[in-house]
Amino acid sequence: MYITDLYSISPQKTFDNSIFEGEVEAFFGNKYYAIEPNYAELIPKGLLRRMGKAVRLGIGAGMPLIKKQNDIDGIILGTASGGLDDCIKFLNQIVEYDEGTLTPTNFVQSTPNSIAGHLALMSKNSGYNNTHMGMGLAFESAILDAFLLFEEGEVSKLLIGNVEETSEHNHNIDTFAGYFKDTEITSTDLLNSNSKGSVRGEGSALFIVSKNKENAICELADVHQFTYPKDKDIEKRAIEFLEKNKLAPNDIDGLILGFSGDNRYDFWYNDLMNSFPEANVYTYKNLVGEYATASGFATWLGAQILNEKNIPNEAIYKKTNKSPKSILIYNNYLGAQHGFILMKGI
Amino acid sequence: MKKVFVTGMGVISAIGNNTAENLDHLRSGKTGIGPAKYVKSNYGQSHPFAEVKLSTDELKSQLNLKTTYGLTRTDYIAFTALKEAIAHSNITPEQVSSEQTAFISASTIGGMCNADELYEDANLISSGSEFVESYTGSTHTLKIAKEYELSGIVDVINTACSSSANTIMLGAKLIKSGRATRAIVGGTDSIGKFSINGFNSLQIMSDTPCAPFDANRKGLNLGEGAAYLILESEDIVGDKETYAEILGYGNSNDAFHPSSLSEDAVGVVECISRALKSAQINPSEVDYINTHGTATGNNDMTELTGINKVFNGFPPFNSTKSYTGHTLGAAGAIEAVYSILSINNNELFPSLNCNTPIEPFNEFPIKEHKKAEIKTVLSNSFGFGGNCSSLIIRGTECEKVAMVECNNEKKHD
Repeated sequence: MYITDLYSISPQKTFDNSIFEGEVEAFFGNKYYAIEPNYAELIPKGLLRRMGKAVRLGIGAGMPLIKKQNDIDGIILGTASGGLDDCIKFLNQIVEYDEGTLTPTNFVQSTPNSIAGHLALMSKNSGYNNTHMGMGLAFESAILDAFLLFEEGEVSKLLIGNVEETSEHNHNIDTFAGYFKDTEITSTDLLNSNSKGSVRGEGSALFIVSKNKENAICELADVHQFTYPKDKDIEKRAIEFLEKNKLAPNDIDGLILGFSGDNRYDFWYNDLMNSFPEANVYTYKNLVGEYATASGFATWLGAQILNEKNIPNEAIYKKTNKSPKSILIYNNYLGAQHGFILMKGI
Repeated sequence: MKKVFVTGMGVISAIGNNTAENLDHLRSGKTGIGPAKYVKSNYGQSHPFAEVKLSTDELKSQLNLKTTYGLTRTDYIAFTALKEAIAHSNITPEQVSSEQTAFISASTIGGMCNADELYEDANLISSGSEFVESYTGSTHTLKIAKEYELSGIVDVINTACSSSANTIMLGAKLIKSGRATRAIVGGTDSIGKFSINGFNSLQIMSDTPCAPFDANRKGLNLGEGAAYLILESEDIVGDKETYAEILGYGNSNDAFHPSSLSEDAVGVVECISRALKSAQINPSEVDYINTHGTATGNNDMTELTGINKVFNGFPPFNSTKSYTGHTLGAAGAIEAVYSILSINNNELFPSLNCNTPIEPFNEFPIKEHKKAEIKTVLSNSFGFGGNCSSLIIRGTECEKVAMVECNNEKKHD
């Protein structure tokens, strides 16, 4: 399938592309919050006030794309936790009012599908509509779903993407689970921190994908996933994935790796990087933080690299003399869930 | 495109801890809805619920899992149905953990059934409970993946109350496309304060046993349960027993309102029509409809409107939620299992509590248990966010006859 348009809201200024003009934000601490656009033209005020952040990030990235081409055949999103903050807000109401009379707004927005539902509602789109929430592979599964749908031959254009929000509540829970660093550091030191835990990021990256090459900015060629691998031979798996796509390792001239500064899991990326010595290597979690569907941002970055945008130095981990035509994205979430995404230039 | 067969099923709900017990209740018209025993909520006594009739400890003790750390009621219910499905399909542990086996599951409440722990963890009142990695609707899937050492595609779908219908659709698609030869699909949910207060805040939770398709229906009852189906490609099914074929599916969005369906049933008509088209059958070939039938004012009226638009009348239909309550993320899978039971036994189960049909349709759901030739079933599932899904499930009797004839012809050649 081919990407014909894209939009990202992230902790960097991606919504207006000023990240390519040298404006790179640095962060201190364990939370990298998204820099959000002014939604006023997009979302009526009353509606915006009631909207949870996850829904807002999804609408904010999706509606500008839909407005440009409102002939999409369906919407497929990946979000690990959707509007989890709405869940907790509703739960807090339950406890604080001892199960009294409650307003349903938070409850209705608490299910992960409410983002894709809102997008369908706002664009009056009765097409295929699905939401994947399998944690670190939710975005990869959304891509897979789109491939399956295109192969059936009934649709030609889809809106796909990822959305993830940060809230105090989910940060508290995940802190107990040991996801974050014990000490606060700056984002410029994140990847070299060599300690356990990472930082939390958030954002949305949405894409118009088409079955046809017309107006394409790049190709989203294939996706692959595996969970709890018994062996740690990431090179073997990458080569198998490439072989399936009739590519040899030296055909890959760009790697986008999910280094998160968590020394429990970063060895996976190092291992893969060493298997592709000639490839340019890019990182992104030092720009947008770690979250379950961060590979959505990696895909957005991949499309920009393939279109020779002025990629900030902070995202370039290793530069070689090759100019990227074929990019392999590899991400793992907490060492448990692993995904490959293959992208090609036009 | 490969054909997709159901070779195993497992179900646990308010009407039984396995498929046989569920079938007994459906045949005898015995509901599982009643006073709650395990629900911890102020509404526990004022409203009926459809609880699984085992305590969380009893569920746990029947399973013999490698690890139980951080497992919730939702997880134990899932493991119970999954264990039955795997045994029923007679697949080996190696086959379950093969990279060719996909696992697609769903849960809307997930570990939020442990509402008190979640409240304390999220608001830093606790020092971190054992459930911090158990709350979202996808955590049960990772726990299952670890226990069964799954290595293929592992995915979790959320389309609210139609979630597990979409797991069946996606599993079938993965097999048809050749990306997997086997898919384990379904969903799980349990009852908690969160869902109780949610549906109550929307004023659609009935204080009496639900009455789908009755003019005086007062809303839904919450239920809990899980169901898993083993789907296998025609390439690997061999001479194994098959229980049904997943013939078609349709997915749409009503695009009308965050928590209710449009009067003209746009999404309902679309998903049924797409399912019929993907199955390549005419509406007249549908022998029975297992409806979404939640017994809310909005759902039942819209669903009848949609069915009438597509079928220009009404094939026999029922709502098995009058037995199980609304099991949310598990409903689509549980109802797919019941649909297959109707096909395999050539019988229709009575829909309970409808005394006065809805105007202007004036149609009663199936009133009594009866024998009937059931080859093809439509199963509907709808959810918040406008998500609508329909499945077309067909018996494999005719399929088998055709395959034998085909093989005989080959022999003659």
